[in-house]
Amino acid sequence: MTESTYNLLVLVFPVLVPLTLAAITAVLWRAPAAQRAVSIIGLGVIVGVSGLLTMAVLQYDILAVEFGSWAVPFGISFVADRLAVALVMITAILALCVGIFSLRDMRQTHIRGGFYPLFFGMITGVNGAFLTGDIFNLYVWFEVMLITSLGLLVIGRTKAQIDGAIKYALLNLFGTVLFLMAVGLLYGATGTLAFADLARILPTLEPTPGLVATAILFLCAFGIKAGVFPLFFWLPASYHTAPFTISAIFAGLLTKVGVYAVFRVFTLLFAVEASGIREIVAVVAALTMVTGVFGAAVQWNIRRILSFHIISQIGYMLMGLAVATPLAIAGAIFYIVHHIIVKANLFLLAGAIRHASGTDDLKKSGGLLKSHPWLAVLFVIPALSLAGLPPLSGFWAKFLVVDASFKGDMAWLAAAALFTGLLTLYSMTKIWMEAFWKEPGIERSQPRKIPFAMTAPIAVLGAITLTIGFYAEPFVQFAEQASITLLEPDVYIAAIFGAEAQVGEATALRSEP
Amino acid sequence: MTFVYAATIAILAGAGIYMILAQNVVRIVMGVALLAASANVLIFLSGRLGSVSPPIIPEGTDVLAQTAANPLPQALVLTAIVIGFALTAFGVALVYKAYRSLGTLDASAMHDAEDMGSPFTPSQAKQ
Amino acid sequence: MFPNTLENAFLSGWLPGETVPTLLLIAFLGAALSFVALPRVGKAAGVVAAALPFTLFAAFLTYVPVLATGDGVPTIMQTVQWVPSLGINFVTRLDGFSLLFALMITGIGTLVALYAGAYYADKPAADRARFLSYILLFMAAMLGTVLSDNLIVMFVFWEMTSLISFLLIGFNSASKEARAAALQSLVITAGGGLALFGGLLITGMEAGTFSLRAITLEPSLIAESPWFYVIATLVLIGAFTKSAQFPFHFWLPNAMQAPTPASAYLHSATMVKLGIFLLARFDPILSTSDVIVMVMVGFGLTTMLVAAVMALRSEGLKAILAYSTVASLGLLVTLIGLQGPGSSVGIAGFILAHALYKAALFFCAGIVIHATGATRVRDVGALFTLLPLTAVSTILASLSMAGLPPFVGFIAKEYVFEAKLESSFAGIVTFVAVGVNSVLVAIAGIVALRPFFSQKSAFKGEPKHGEVWGMTAGPVVLASMGVFFGLFADIPQYFIVGPAAVALSGAPFYVSFEIWHGLTPMLALSVLVIAIGALMVWKWDAVQSAAKSLSFIDRFSVEKGYNATFQGLLSVARLSTQTLQNGQMRTYLVATIAVVTAAMGYALLVGAFGPGAAGFAFPSVEGDTIRPYLAMVSALVVAGALVAAVARSMIVSLVGIGLSGYGIAVIFMKNGAPDLALTQLSVETLFVVIVTAVLVKLPAVGDGLKTYSRFDIRPRDALLSTAFGAAIFLVVLSIAAKPFNPSITDYFAATSLTEAFGRNVVNVILVDFRALDTLGEIAVVAFAAIAAWAILSLSDGKGPADLDPAHDRSTRGVSSLIFSTTAQAFFILMIAISVVVLFRGHNEPGGGFIGGLIASAGFAVLALALGVNIAAQKLILHPVVWMGVGLVCAIVSGIPGAVLNESFLTHQWVDLNLGFMTLKLGTTYLFDIGVYLTVIGGVLAFLIRVQQQTGSPDAKPSDALPADEPAPNTNTQGASA
Repeated sequence: MTESTYNLLVLVFPVLVPLTLAAITAVLWRAPAAQRAVSIIGLGVIVGVSGLLTMAVLQYDILAVEFGSWAVPFGISFVADRLAVALVMITAILALCVGIFSLRDMRQTHIRGGFYPLFFGMITGVNGAFLTGDIFNLYVWFEVMLITSLGLLVIGRTKAQIDGAIKYALLNLFGTVLFLMAVGLLYGATGTLAFADLARILPTLEPTPGLVATAILFLCAFGIKAGVFPLFFWLPASYHTAPFTISAIFAGLLTKVGVYAVFRVFTLLFAVEASGIREIVAVVAALTMVTGVFGAAVQWNIRRILSFHIISQIGYMLMGLAVATPLAIAGAIFYIVHHIIVKANLFLLAGAIRHASGTDDLKKSGGLLKSHPWLAVLFVIPALSLAGLPPLSGFWAKFLVVDASFKGDMAWLAAAALFTGLLTLYSMTKIWMEAFWKEPGIERSQPRKIPFAMTAPIAVLGAITLTIGFYAEPFVQFAEQASITLLEPDVYIAAIFGAEAQVGEATALRSEP
Repeated sequence: MTFVYAATIAILAGAGIYMILAQNVVRIVMGVALLAASANVLIFLSGRLGSVSPPIIPEGTDVLAQTAANPLPQALVLTAIVIGFALTAFGVALVYKAYRSLGTLDASAMHDAEDMGSPFTPSQAKQ
Repeated sequence: MFPNTLENAFLSGWLPGETVPTLLLIAFLGAALSFVALPRVGKAAGVVAAALPFTLFAAFLTYVPVLATGDGVPTIMQTVQWVPSLGINFVTRLDGFSLLFALMITGIGTLVALYAGAYYADKPAADRARFLSYILLFMAAMLGTVLSDNLIVMFVFWEMTSLISFLLIGFNSASKEARAAALQSLVITAGGGLALFGGLLITGMEAGTFSLRAITLEPSLIAESPWFYVIATLVLIGAFTKSAQFPFHFWLPNAMQAPTPASAYLHSATMVKLGIFLLARFDPILSTSDVIVMVMVGFGLTTMLVAAVMALRSEGLKAILAYSTVASLGLLVTLIGLQGPGSSVGIAGFILAHALYKAALFFCAGIVIHATGATRVRDVGALFTLLPLTAVSTILASLSMAGLPPFVGFIAKEYVFEAKLESSFAGIVTFVAVGVNSVLVAIAGIVALRPFFSQKSAFKGEPKHGEVWGMTAGPVVLASMGVFFGLFADIPQYFIVGPAAVALSGAPFYVSFEIWHGLTPMLALSVLVIAIGALMVWKWDAVQSAAKSLSFIDRFSVEKGYNATFQGLLSVARLSTQTLQNGQMRTYLVATIAVVTAAMGYALLVGAFGPGAAGFAFPSVEGDTIRPYLAMVSALVVAGALVAAVARSMIVSLVGIGLSGYGIAVIFMKNGAPDLALTQLSVETLFVVIVTAVLVKLPAVGDGLKTYSRFDIRPRDALLSTAFGAAIFLVVLSIAAKPFNPSITDYFAATSLTEAFGRNVVNVILVDFRALDTLGEIAVVAFAAIAAWAILSLSDGKGPADLDPAHDRSTRGVSSLIFSTTAQAFFILMIAISVVVLFRGHNEPGGGFIGGLIASAGFAVLALALGVNIAAQKLILHPVVWMGVGLVCAIVSGIPGAVLNESFLTHQWVDLNLGFMTLKLGTTYLFDIGVYLTVIGGVLAFLIRVQQQTGSPDAKPSDALPADEPAPNTNTQGASA
C-alpha cells in the first residue's frame, strides 16, 4: 500500500469504522455483553483512526478521496480540511468519553433498546456530515443523524422522552425536508452536487430569485438543525428528557453539525456578504445568544439550564460567520471545538450531580462541595469555560469572536456577546450555589459516591479544556489556518480538481468582498 | 408541463403544511409525508422532464440514448423516497407510542417533556 | 506539529534572568500545591501557608533598592510568550507603583495567612485548608494583575480575583446571606469586568498593541481615537465596580459576609484597590479629557459622601470599617482625577497608609468578634484587660487613620490635602474632604475606644479566648509599621512612596514625604478635621441617631435599584422564555414555518428587485407542451392532497394521501422512471398499510381530539400554507427557467455500461456512482427500524423484549388451513421473485430495494396466515440481525476496491465462465444483496412490531413506563450487576 493509498483510506475510516461497529452491534442484537465489549474496543479504534487522519491533514493541509474511483463531480468525495478533521477528532474523543460514562449511566433496557447500534450510527452520521464533499450526501448523513438521535432520545420510553421526541422529530423532519428541497433546487440550477464543482459553477450564475431563495432555504434548514433563534424550539423541548449520556453527546455534537454545514455552505458555495444574508446572520446570532441565555437564566433544572445554553452558545459561533473576517472565522472554529468539549462535559457533570444528589432540580440538591470536593473542581472547569472566564478555553473563543466583531464594525454584536456572558456566568453560579454550596438537599442527605467510569471521562474532558486554555497558541494557530480553506474556496477546489481549476469569474451570490 | 408540475409541487407542499399545522399528531405526520412527496417531485423536476424513455441502455448499444430520461434525479429521488419513508414510518410508530403512553393524540395536550423540571407553573395545557 | 511554541514558552521564557515571571509562577504553583498539602498539616496550616507569601515578600524586597536608584522611571520588563499570534504574552512590568502593590500583597498576605490559621484553629481542618488555599490563590491572582503589562493578561488575573472573592464571600456557604452577597459581588464585579474587557479590546484595536506601557507612553493613540469616550466609560465602569465606587459601592459592605481574614485582605487592603490601580495606570490617557477628569472627581466625591453617611448609620464593627473603606476609595478616585505631582505622592502614600491601618483595624475587629461572638459596636466594651495588645494596635492604627502625627496616615493626609488645594476644583473638593475626613476620624475614635474602654456598652457574655499570637501578630506588626514609617518618613519616601509616585507621574521629580513641612494650609485643615472628628466621637450616639433619622436615604438606595434591575432582567428573561418556549407544538410549528416562508419571500424579493438582481424569469412555454393525460394525473395528485388536508376523517385523509402517492408514481412512470415508480408504489403501499394498522387502534373521528385546529385559526393556517406553497411555486419556476447543465448525466450515459457494467443507469448510480448515498440510505432504514423496534417494545423494559413467544401477545393469524397452505406456497414464490428482481436490477428495472420489498411482502402474507411468530421463525435470524448482516455485506462489497483500486466502494468484476454462458459478476451484487437484506430486516421489524402492538387485545393507553423519572442512574447497580 502506497503512502497516498494509506492517506486516502484513513479518510474513509472515521465513517466506515463506526458504521461497521453499528452493523456488528446489530448482529450481536441478542448479546448485550458482547455489544459492550465490541463498543469499548471500537471507540478506541475510532479515536485511533481519527488521530491518523488528523496527522495526515496536518501534513498535507487538505485531503480528498473519491468513492468508487469515480472522479468528482460524477462520484462522491470525502474532503478533510483542518476544520473537518478537528471536528472528527473531537467527535472521536467525545464518543470515547461518553461511551465510558455510559457504562454506568445506561441501563440494561437502554442497551436492549439498541443503544450501541444507534450510538455508532450517530457517530457515523456526524462524521459523514463533517467529511463529505457532496451536498446530497450531506443530506443523507443528516438523516442518519436524525433517525439515530431520535432512537436514542426515546430509548428509555418515558412519557417525557416520547413527548420530547415528537417535537424533536416533527420540527427536524420539517427541517430536513427543507434541506432536501434546497438540494433539489441547487441541482436544478447547477446540474451538479459536489461542493467543489458547485463552488466553481455557482459564481458564474446570475443571482436569480430562485437561487437566492435556495441559499435562504439552506440557511433555514441548517438553522433548525443548529438551533438558532427563532427555530430552536425543538431543542429545549427534548434535550433534557434523554439519559445524561445521550444528552451529552447530543449537546456536544448535533447542533454543531448544523453550524458546520452553515459554515461550509456559506463560505464555499454562497457568500454571506451578498443579498443581506450577512445582516440576517448577525441579527440571528445576537438574538440566539440573548434569548438562549434568557431561557437558561430562569431555569432551575440543571439539564434545562444547559439545554438553553446550547442555543445561546450557537449565537457566538454564528457571530463569526456574520463578521466573516479571517479572525472571526477562526474564532468561530475555535468556539465550535471548545464548545463541543465543554457542553458535553457539563451534561456528564449533570449526570454525576444527579447520581450523587439524587436530583437535577437545583431547588432540591445541595451539599456537594463538602461531600465531593473533586467533583466541584471538575464542575468549575467547564462551567467557567462556558461563561468565557479566563484563562479557560471559552475565554479565547470569546476573545476571538468579540475582538473580531469590534474590528469588523459590529460593536453592537460584541456588546450582545458580553452581556450574554454575564448571564451565562450567573446561571453557572446558580448551579454552583445550589448544588455545591447549599446544605445537602432534601432528595438525598447523604450524597452517593460517584463511580470512576463517570468521573474519568469528566476529568479527561476537563483536562482538554484546561489544555486549550493554558496552551492556547497552537489551537489559535490551528483555527487561523483552518479558516483559510473556508475563506479561499480555491484551496478546496484545487484539492479536488487540481491547482489549475479556479473559481468562476462572474460574480453571483458570491460578491467580491 | 413545467407549470403544471410546479403547481403540483406547490399544492402538495401547501397541503402538507396545512396538515402539519393541525392539532392531531397523526395528521402532522401525514403532513410531513405530503411535504416529503412534494420535495421528491421537486427533485425530479429539477433534472428537467420531457423524455418518456427510461434510462436503460438497450441491448446492442453501449451508451444511453440522448432521448432517455435523466437518471441522476431518479437515483436521488429513490434515495429520498426510502429515507423519507423510513422516517415517516418511525414517526407513525412514535405517534402510536405517544398515544399509548400519553393517552392523547392532541399536540396541545402533550406537555410531559416541558413540564419536567419547568420553572413555570404547569399551565401549558391551555393555549 | 505546532511550530516552535513549545520552545518559545519553555526555553526563551524561563531564562534565569526573568525572575518576575518566575515569582509569579511560584505563587501559582504554591497556591495550587496548597490545595493538596494544607489539609494534611493540621493546625500549623496557617504558618505553612504564610511561608509562600513571605518568601515572595522577601524576593520583592530585593527589588526595592534596584527600583529606587535607577535613572528616569526605573522599570523591569520581562516577557514570556503565551499566545503570540494574538499579541498576548506574559509581560511583567515591575516599577515603583507595581512594586508598592506587590509588597503590600505579599506582606499583608503573610500576616493574613498567619491570622487565618489561628482564626480557623477550631474549625474543621478541611475548611481551614480550603480557606487558606483560596487566600494564597487570591494572592497569586493579585500579583498577576498588578505585575502584568499586557492588558489581556491583566484582565485574566483581574477576573480571577473577582472569582476568588466570590468564593471567599460565600465561604460560609450554608448561610443564605453569604451566598446572596457572594452572588451580588460577582455579578457586579464580573459585569464590570466584562465592560472592562470590551474597553480593553477596543483599546487594543485602536492602539495596535495590548501593552499598557506602550499605550500610556503614547496617550494620543487612544485620546484621539473616535472610540475614546467609549473606552474611557468602559474602563471607568470596570474600575468603579471593582473599587466599589458609587453607584456600585453597596456590594462591598455586603461582602463583609466573608470571614474576617478575607475582609481584611481582599475587601480593604488589596483587591478593592485594583480599580484604583487601573485608573492610576490609565490616567495618562484618561486625564487628556476634562470631562473624564470631572467624572472621576464627581464620582469619587459622591462615593465619599455616601459612604460617610452610611458609616455613621452603621452599627456592625465590620460594616463601619467597610464604609470607611469605601470612603477612602472614593478619596483615591478623586485624587487620581486631580492633577499635579502632589496627587501622585498623595495616591502612593495614601494607598500605603490605608493598607497598613485598615488591614490592622479589620484584624482587630476580627479578634474582637472571634473572642466575643458579638458583631455590633454597642454589644462590646471594656475589653482592654482581655485583649490588651489588640487594643493597643487598634489605637495605633486608628490614630494613623485619623491622620494624627507622627503616624504615616498623617503624612499621607497632608499630601492628599495638598493635592486638593493645588487642584482647580479646590473649593468643593476640600469642603467634602474635610467633612468626610472628620467622619473617618470619628470612626477611628469609635472603633478604637468603644470596644476596649467603654463601660457604657460592656460585653456581657463569656469571652471565648484572650490574645492568640497568630491573630495578634498581624495588627501589631501593621500598626507598628504605621508608626515607624511616620517617624522615619525618609524610608518610605526614598524606597517605596517615592518610586511609586515617580512611576505614576511617568517622569522623575523630587518627592518629599515628610512629617513636618511648616505651618501650611494643609496643617490647618488637619487640625480642623481632627477637631470636628473628636467632637463627633464625643457626641457619637447623637450623631448616629441623627444620621439614622435621615430615612429618605433608604428610599434612594442604589442597592434597591440594583435588585430591581436584576429582577427586572430576570422577568424579561422569564417573559421571553415563556413566550418562545411555551410548550405548544403548534406555536413552534407556526413560528418555524412562518419564518421559513418569510425568509423565502424576502429572498424572492431580493433576487427579483434587490441591488444587482437578476429579475424574475419564468420558464419558457415554447416546446413544453401540456400532456393532457399527465395533467389529469397531476390534478389527481393535487386533489388527493387537498382531500387529505381538509377531510375530517383520518381514514379519508389517508386515502387522499395514498391517492396522491399513486398519482406521483404514475407521473414517475410516464416520465421515464420505472424504478422510481415501482419504489414509490411499494413505499406508498407500505406507508398506507402501516398507518392503517395503527389507525384502527387510534380514536378516529369525532373523538373530541380536535382533528382540526380551532375554527378561528383555520383560515390563518390556510393562509400560511398558501404562502408557503406560493413561495415554493415561484422558487421552482425561477430555477426551472434557466438552462440545465447536463454534463454529469452525459458522463453517466457514456460510462454506465462501459465502465460500470450496468445497463440500468439508475441502478448503476445507486450501487456504484453514488453507492455511498445508498449505503447511508440503508443505514437510515436499519436505524429507523431499530428505533421503532425499541419504541414499540411490549415489555416496557422489564425483561427480554424481543421475539419471545412466551412474551408475545400477538395475534394467532387467520386460522384457515387452505389459506395457510397457499400462503406458504405464495411465500416461496415471492422469495424467488424477489431474488430474480434483485439480480436483474443492474440491467433492468429492479434491484435490491425493490427485491427486498417483494420479499417482505411474502413474509407479510405469511404472517397474516400463520401469525407473526411463525413468519419470524421463517426469518431464521432476528430482523435486526438481518439488517446488521445487510449492512456488513454492503460495507464488505467496498473493501476489495479499497485494497485493489485504492478507493473504497470501487466495484470489482470477474467473468465467470459456466460453459454455456459467461456470467459477469461484480461486487455490486454483494452491495445490492446488502440493500436487499437490510430492507427485508427493516420492513419486517416494522411490520412485526406494529402487528404485535396493534394485535395485542389489551393494548390501551397508559401501558408505558409508569413514571418519567426512574433515574437512569438509580438503576446502575442493576446495570452493572
